[in-house]
Amino acid sequence: MPPNKRNVEGCCTAGTFWKLKLRASMASAAAKTPTRSEVLSLFRCLLRTGRDFCDYNVREYTKRRTIDAFRSNRSLSDQQSVSAAYADGKEQLAIAKRQAIVYSLYSPKVKSIMELNQV
Amino acid sequence: MASKFLASPIRRFLAKAHRPSASWPRHLSTAAAAAEAASSVYEDPDAGIVMKGVRISGRPLYLDMQATSPLDPRVLDAMLPFYTARYGNPHSRTHLYGWESDLAVESARAQVAALVNASPKEIVFTSGATECNNISIKGVMHFYRDKKRHVITTQTEHKCVLDSCRHLQQEGFDITYLKVGSDGIIDLEQLRSSIRPDTGLVSVMAVNNEIGVIQPMEEIGKICKEFNVPFHTDAAQALGKIPVDVDKWNVSLMSLSGHKVYGPKGVGALYLRRRPRIRVEPQMNGGGQERGIRSGTVPTPLVVGMGAACELAMKEMEYDHKRVSSLQERLLNGIKEKIDGVVVNGSLEKRYPGNLNISFAYVEGESLLMGLKEVAVSSGSACTSASLEPSYVLRALGVEEDMAHTSIRYGIGRFTTEEEIDRAVELTVKQVEKLREMSPLYEMVKEGIDIKSIQWAQH
Repeated sequence: MPPNKRNVEGCCTAGTFWKLKLRASMASAAAKTPTRSEVLSLFRCLLRTGRDFCDYNVREYTKRRTIDAFRSNRSLSDQQSVSAAYADGKEQLAIAKRQAIVYSLYSPKVKSIMELNQV
Repeated sequence: MASKFLASPIRRFLAKAHRPSASWPRHLSTAAAAAEAASSVYEDPDAGIVMKGVRISGRPLYLDMQATSPLDPRVLDAMLPFYTARYGNPHSRTHLYGWESDLAVESARAQVAALVNASPKEIVFTSGATECNNISIKGVMHFYRDKKRHVITTQTEHKCVLDSCRHLQQEGFDITYLKVGSDGIIDLEQLRSSIRPDTGLVSVMAVNNEIGVIQPMEEIGKICKEFNVPFHTDAAQALGKIPVDVDKWNVSLMSLSGHKVYGPKGVGALYLRRRPRIRVEPQMNGGGQERGIRSGTVPTPLVVGMGAACELAMKEMEYDHKRVSSLQERLLNGIKEKIDGVVVNGSLEKRYPGNLNISFAYVEGESLLMGLKEVAVSSGSACTSASLEPSYVLRALGVEEDMAHTSIRYGIGRFTTEEEIDRAVELTVKQVEKLREMSPLYEMVKEGIDIKSIQWAQH
């Protein structure tokens, strides 16, 4: 994709422009590596959002899958895979938040048998 | 910043929604209200559900994954934009609505193709696996009707395959129905000897929907390649559950279904090999959509849902498989520990673990099912459950009539929990013990009398 004419104004040549852009993107990728507290906060948010589902099966699945996914990704060490996993987790959190609302709008009046006998 | 403003109202809303008494006010549209009033379903948070004269305290736990599977929330999330704002027809070439729909359909096609190791150009979207089977069997044979007059299939195929073959038989084609062994697997030597010079198609389903056995697909593919016969498989139950590879299996046609892989109902995909090209006569004529093989507007939301479901299946296949295997063991061992006379129909080794078809001896099938109303299971497949006779699949396995009548099919899936399995075991065991206590046949067996040696008096 050719660089936008406006962006090139401040740079000497197109080559330098692309080098700067690349360095900037690498720096931002480095900045995107989540800290331990960010990862833990994402984990807690996912579990909390999962609890809000009205459907018994989806609720249990979200909890179980979150725990298993974070546990299996615990050993990831290189930056790129960690950031990719974190970004994926954030996306899943957004999906879960939206779907929790949608499921609650159409939840049946009578709950699943599994929930009733637990009470 | 905006998320902070949204967070507290959303939290409050969700907290309100989670309370069982404060459900979203149900202002039903007139059509829906009339339908609910007309149906004899009575739902009340305290009294439970009363339907068809049966009262249950809550919604049953779902163990019927072979009939259909619940929609994964991530799939619903992918589909909803195409029901709300992006509602264009993918075949409209002149505006944004059409372009974005077309883009979505093509990316869904690529997702489905990736799961079966095919090229996106080889995938045709249809309305479901039944339509795919019809196109494959009738379409291929009609196209090659001058040279090829013979079809080979098995006795345990899905009803739509058997019905299409019966239709071809009425038109004058020859059909060979291969027998299966008592474990549900076909005999490869019998297949090899049945192939004639005018065999136009071999159709064997990958994973059986009633008993869950996996046929030896690679070996069948090799035999078909040797004799240069097109190989069709109904992979509706196999997709997303076992690794499906069109090159390893050497299939020319494959039927896929959306609602068995946690996708929406009403959509399926047909895989048609391009090298060497397999030609079919289209069953739906019209504007030439889907390369002329299946005309009609491609339903964007459904197709996007199927694509999302296939992508999820690829990511989650290993995790789901491990989990479902352990749940199956838990179910089978739980039942076998408490009661005897339990027979698993079909091979236990060559089987997809999520499908467990068990027969209970000395128990009547209908009463067992009626007693298990808190567990949603089925006996036989949904297609054959309307009639009273036992399933033809079990009869093909050589299961005796009385055992075939008491067969129950448990379907375990991605969303099944350990507690549900334990509850299902508990309910099944309780019901079977209750029925056996009432059964005079069981009393005789316990005393040591051999049932088969009894001379029943004729009145």
